[in-house]
Amino acid sequence: MFDNYKNKFIPLILPICIIIFWYLITEGLGIVDLYKLPGPITVCQAAWILILNGKLLTNTVDTLVKVFAGLIAAAVVAIPLGILLGWYKTLEDFASLVISVLRPIPPVAWIPFSILWFGIGMFPAVFIIFMGCVFPILIYTLDGVKRTDKVLIESAQTLGAGDRDVLKRIMIPSAVPYVVSGLRVGMGIALMCTISAEMVGSGSGLGYMILTATSLFDPGTTVVGMLVIGLIGIVFDLIFTKVQKRIFW
Amino acid sequence: MSIEVKNINKSFESKKVDQLTVLKDVNLTIDDGELVCLLGPSGCGKTTLLRLIAGLDQPTSGEIIANGEKVSGPSGDRAVIFQQYSLFPWLTVLKNVTFGLEMTTGNSKEENIALAEEYLERVGLIEFKDSYPHELSGGMKQRVAIIRSLLNHSPILLMDEPFSALDMINRHKLQEQLIEVWQRFENTIVFVTHDVDEAVFLADKIVVMGRKPGRIDKIIEVGLERPRKRESKEFILLMESIVENLDMGELDKKSLE
Repeated sequence: MFDNYKNKFIPLILPICIIIFWYLITEGLGIVDLYKLPGPITVCQAAWILILNGKLLTNTVDTLVKVFAGLIAAAVVAIPLGILLGWYKTLEDFASLVISVLRPIPPVAWIPFSILWFGIGMFPAVFIIFMGCVFPILIYTLDGVKRTDKVLIESAQTLGAGDRDVLKRIMIPSAVPYVVSGLRVGMGIALMCTISAEMVGSGSGLGYMILTATSLFDPGTTVVGMLVIGLIGIVFDLIFTKVQKRIFW
Repeated sequence: MSIEVKNINKSFESKKVDQLTVLKDVNLTIDDGELVCLLGPSGCGKTTLLRLIAGLDQPTSGEIIANGEKVSGPSGDRAVIFQQYSLFPWLTVLKNVTFGLEMTTGNSKEENIALAEEYLERVGLIEFKDSYPHELSGGMKQRVAIIRSLLNHSPILLMDEPFSALDMINRHKLQEQLIEVWQRFENTIVFVTHDVDEAVFLADKIVVMGRKPGRIDKIIEVGLERPRKRESKEFILLMESIVENLDMGELDKKSLE
């Protein structure tokens, strides 16, 4: 009981210390100029204004919509493709070089083309997120299918399962934990990509909010945007942890 | 279903030596409904022979005929029960058990479930039908795996040291259950083991194998009456005579000199 209480309390110590330290060096003692680093009170005020005028909500929703659109598009392409490549060795060999070359390209490197191809707005951002997520999900899925326990495949075969049954009823379920890990990694990348994409080719979203606030000498809003991104990250991480716990194989 | 193993050779490419001969000139006939144990030290190729019969591996030369047909790949007619636990972890016990039925029969879902429940009831596992494999003990997992194969009416059961991970009490219990099941269903069973006691308890016929290269040394017809008693004089005498002749003993003697 006490241990449990202690475990929940310990992670809070450092953030509280940081906030106090942050307050002291900015608004408290004025060691750092406020235009270089806004203090906690300025940030709270900025947050309050953004909540009241609804901008925080609309921009957050806007970013999340892009994240999900990109992630879902990537999953729709990468999961079936990963299963296919994991199943047909020849096809994997056929595609491997292209994947190896495209995979290390940072998603933000696609920004110029995304603007050329999709203009300004939601689609270029979704495209960049797609490019960022598609490879991790693909690789994880491919790996999951290939790592299916041989004993399970052979058991199914000696129970009369044909190739299709083995794929559908053994390899795919066995790859599910890997796919979820891939989605988790993809989610993190998607969030990063969205913000970068919004800073370049977009007129809305948290990334856009952060960038415009800085140029309008409103550093409080910038920090609010950063913190909201962090919070979104935590929430998704918690969700994925829960999902992964439910998959026990 | 009878099994005929004809002039089987099996070798693997190996880095240390050019070729590793795992089985050399193996010939064996297993009659319909017979319970045959492949007995031998590790490295004698007994598991390889079982996998060849299952169709999971292909021989380098020679052929295997099961029920008049040449074995060319795995089939539902020859179920394998592995040493490692092989239940599908994402399926409940009941769904594991009906898996084979869904593959091989055109039965309705209800029929399959009814059949599976009937079998689980008989071996006392019915209360675990909605459990997942990771919630079962090792012995229960192997019982479920055996039921899964039996229910499928695989006329041939190929068992690769299925009880070796269990403690002695559970092992003996499962050996007895296996005999009961076999007498009821009249399957042909090929059972791989390195445990002489297990072979003498189970087998109609013990195929004693030697190693380097893997080969059949001797085939012993076990004439003991069932149910067999481990403490009977005949049982102990047979065990001793097998242990004396095992390849393992010879090798040990050589290494001592």
